[in-house]
Amino acid sequence: MNEQLMLLVALQDLDTMIRETQDKVHATKLANMGFALEGVDDLRNAREELAGSIEKALLHRYERISQRLGRAVVPITSNVCLGCFAVIPTAYTSMENREKILYCENCGRILYWPRGT
Amino acid sequence: MNRQELFTLFSEDLFIPSLKAKDRDGVLQEMVDHAAAAGVIRDRDVILGMLKNRESLGSTGLGEGVAFPHGRSLAIPSLMAFFARSVKGVEYGAIDGKPVKLFFMFIAPPIEKENRYLPALGQVVELIRDAGTREQLLQVAGYEQFRQIILGDGEESE
Ligand SMILES: [Zn+2]
Repeated sequence: MNEQLMLLVALQDLDTMIRETQDKVHATKLANMGFALEGVDDLRNAREELAGSIEKALLHRYERISQRLGRAVVPITSNVCLGCFAVIPTAYTSMENREKILYCENCGRILYWPRGT
Repeated sequence: MNRQELFTLFSEDLFIPSLKAKDRDGVLQEMVDHAAAAGVIRDRDVILGMLKNRESLGSTGLGEGVAFPHGRSLAIPSLMAFFARSVKGVEYGAIDGKPVKLFFMFIAPPIEKENRYLPALGQVVELIRDAGTREQLLQVAGYEQFRQIILGDGEESE
């Protein structure tokens, strides 16, 4: 697996967690269950550190797509981009290509195979 | 979500009656490694990192010897529920400072159409408030017995 892609997936997971922590409805649900959500500054620090290990051009692209579309990295299932539901070109699914960072031709999001198939 | 629906989220592949790990990070790693070996997750490092980040937000050890590590990750294709037990208990940084013996892990994809993640987590937290249920889980011998505890089988006859 492409290491830079893994870092992007981890970065998006962190961004998801930060967003949910700041979402009042979500935070209230968790608080009602008994979960404290207090260390959001720690999460921001972890995010900065992680972002620092991603190649600048790639990080810039991630941030740009995130701002525009909300979610920069999207899973592929059954050869469909789950960002826009476009079918991805067959050539993308070769093992060789999976070691590269590929973008959906239709929506421009970064593609990721969560099942490895 | 009823108890039957809740139970169907737990698979036999993701059931560890006796964890080897002796500390918090060790437990998270052992459970994630187990899920990876079962083919449920592929990129274990991403999931492990997410779970550790979640703990830094506030311990998921809610006290009385139970912890609920949870979160969302792009690296999981569908909602995963996982039960594990440590016979001796581990230092987990729980809010009451007690060692944790029972672990319920929930990992959800960023977008989940059925929206079962928080309802399932809430349901388990609720079930576990009952001291009798916790006691049964501490003694659980196998997956079939786990099933009966989660479904609440036999409660009527008690
Ligand atoms: Zn797309």
